[in-house]
Amino acid sequence: MIAESPMRTTSPRPTSPRTRAERFRRRLRAADLLLSASWTSAAAAVALYLAYGGAGLFNTVGDAVTSLGIIAGLIGTNLILLMLVLAARVPIIDRVFGHDRAMAAHRALGKPAFYLILAHAVLLILGYGITAGINPVAETISIFGLPDMPLAFLGFGLLIVVIVTSIVVVRRRFKYELWHVVHLLTYFAVIFALPHQFSVGGMLANGTFQRVYWIALYVIALGSIATFRFAEPIVKSLQHGIRVTRVEQVANGVASIHLSGRNLSALGSAGGQFFVWRFWSGKTWWHSHPISLSAQPTDRTARITVRALGNGSSSLSRLPKGTRVSFEGPYGLFTDAARTAPKLAIVAAGIGVTPVRALLEHSHLASGEATILLRASTEDETYLWDEMEALATQQGARFYTSVGRRPKGRDTWLSSRDVSRNVRLSSVFPDLARSDLYVCGPQAWTDLVVGEARATGMPEHQIHTERFDW
Amino acid sequence: MRTRAVLGSIFGSVAVLVIGWQAGAAAAAAHSASASAAVTTSGTTSGTTTPSTSTGSTSSPGPTSSSASKSSSSKTYTGASADTPFGTVQVRITVASGKLTDVTAVHLTDNGGRSVEISNYAAPILRTEVLAAQSANVSSVGGATYTSQGYLTSLQSALDQAGLK
Repeated sequence: MIAESPMRTTSPRPTSPRTRAERFRRRLRAADLLLSASWTSAAAAVALYLAYGGAGLFNTVGDAVTSLGIIAGLIGTNLILLMLVLAARVPIIDRVFGHDRAMAAHRALGKPAFYLILAHAVLLILGYGITAGINPVAETISIFGLPDMPLAFLGFGLLIVVIVTSIVVVRRRFKYELWHVVHLLTYFAVIFALPHQFSVGGMLANGTFQRVYWIALYVIALGSIATFRFAEPIVKSLQHGIRVTRVEQVANGVASIHLSGRNLSALGSAGGQFFVWRFWSGKTWWHSHPISLSAQPTDRTARITVRALGNGSSSLSRLPKGTRVSFEGPYGLFTDAARTAPKLAIVAAGIGVTPVRALLEHSHLASGEATILLRASTEDETYLWDEMEALATQQGARFYTSVGRRPKGRDTWLSSRDVSRNVRLSSVFPDLARSDLYVCGPQAWTDLVVGEARATGMPEHQIHTERFDW
Repeated sequence: MRTRAVLGSIFGSVAVLVIGWQAGAAAAAAHSASASAAVTTSGTTSGTTTPSTSTGSTSSPGPTSSSASKSSSSKTYTGASADTPFGTVQVRITVASGKLTDVTAVHLTDNGGRSVEISNYAAPILRTEVLAAQSANVSSVGGATYTSQGYLTSLQSALDQAGLK
């Protein structure tokens, strides 16, 4: 079934435990540094105001409310810029935290940032109103009359739209693409809010170091988006000139898409990483698909395997030959580089087999180092299992499967037959405590596996998952 | 979050807050010094341009007769004071042969040391632009919007009194 012989890009010998431990230490150091820097940047926003003499601006009620409003705006804006950086797919963030953890942090910051900006607007209207001795409505009208303020109000309105459409309940009603387009309004909200900070806010007046620092933050945030979300993908896509060579039906609703391009080994993709693909045919160009390579690329060919999941995935199986393909990536930490333990435990379900297949192919394992468990509800869903078995044999890995539906009414990640045989994570993987566990499958199923792993007392850094539903 | 990251965050945050606070305290001291200097400056300026108006109360807008002054035919007019969140702004203009020849700040935003600094920075810019434009129809100074608006509002009222546009 393997159409091309894949090219080995790994070192000929397995990674030594010492190298692995050193790599892990380096990653932790970078993670701690980045986290500390993020929190410090929020404090720095407050420090800007203190340096402006803000500590002395709490003498009257009006001043105190105004000062709190300014501080809320500063921290809120700082958080929004941080969210942009987290969503920008900056290489160091991806290498240290992985794409899905960065996006989880991005989402977690959304609400606090919004509330702070809301507080900024409300507190400043109240504060200015108290100082000038007029009611909030009159003050709002007066503020609206200042230069750049209508634009700032427009930006605030856009932010409300973005937040409302991102609330889970509302988001479910939207197609992903529509939601995503609305989400892009954030860029406009951020840019519209910029002029009033420099013209109305005296703190960021011309010639202050606060102004220089604040502009630098914007340059970093918007610059990383422009570089890593736009410039780099466009340049790389043009360089590699990837096209569809053929679409092969693997099973019902699952297809392998074979790609060709220039110098593909230079993509630097480690097995288990994913790319965000866009296929430029009339029906599919507006969807992007996060899909991992299902085989190590050769210099001229690559392969991805997809199941009809979203709206766009089903039309992928009918892609005409020669369709141009653009991509972003590779992203993710679901790779050999993230390993910290001497043994390797792999659990995958359904189409989740694709990244673990690439991971296995990319790794150089000692005999007996790895144990693999593949899970499917029916025989029809055993995608690429023959290839997995061949790779397992080649790498000297133990290979188990669990086929069949799960028992009705029970939350388990195994088939009913295996549940009745009392199979558990720790029975499949006796060395679990000394293993890196890689889990890839549907989210609910993954959560069950990870939950059981945590219950055995497995440390967090040995558990590796990848989400594909961004 | 790991302990080291928590400690690093706390250390970094406290450090920048202390630095900011100290810088703010130093800035506040400098402001109060420049604030008193500013008052002196505006006092002397108005004194030299219109020697005969020393009796004029700053709070009573209206043309101040300069007929007592034999040296020139210039007249001064004091604009109404304009309220801003950072204090009141009031300016006085000097008009000679139907031309605006000078603008003097009677009172500028002084609510907080930083406001004084902004006023001192914005007032000369506004004065130059107003004299060039011969009207209150000039744009606000970046970072000093409230000061600019108050300045121009008071200026307009003085121009109205003088019968200029």
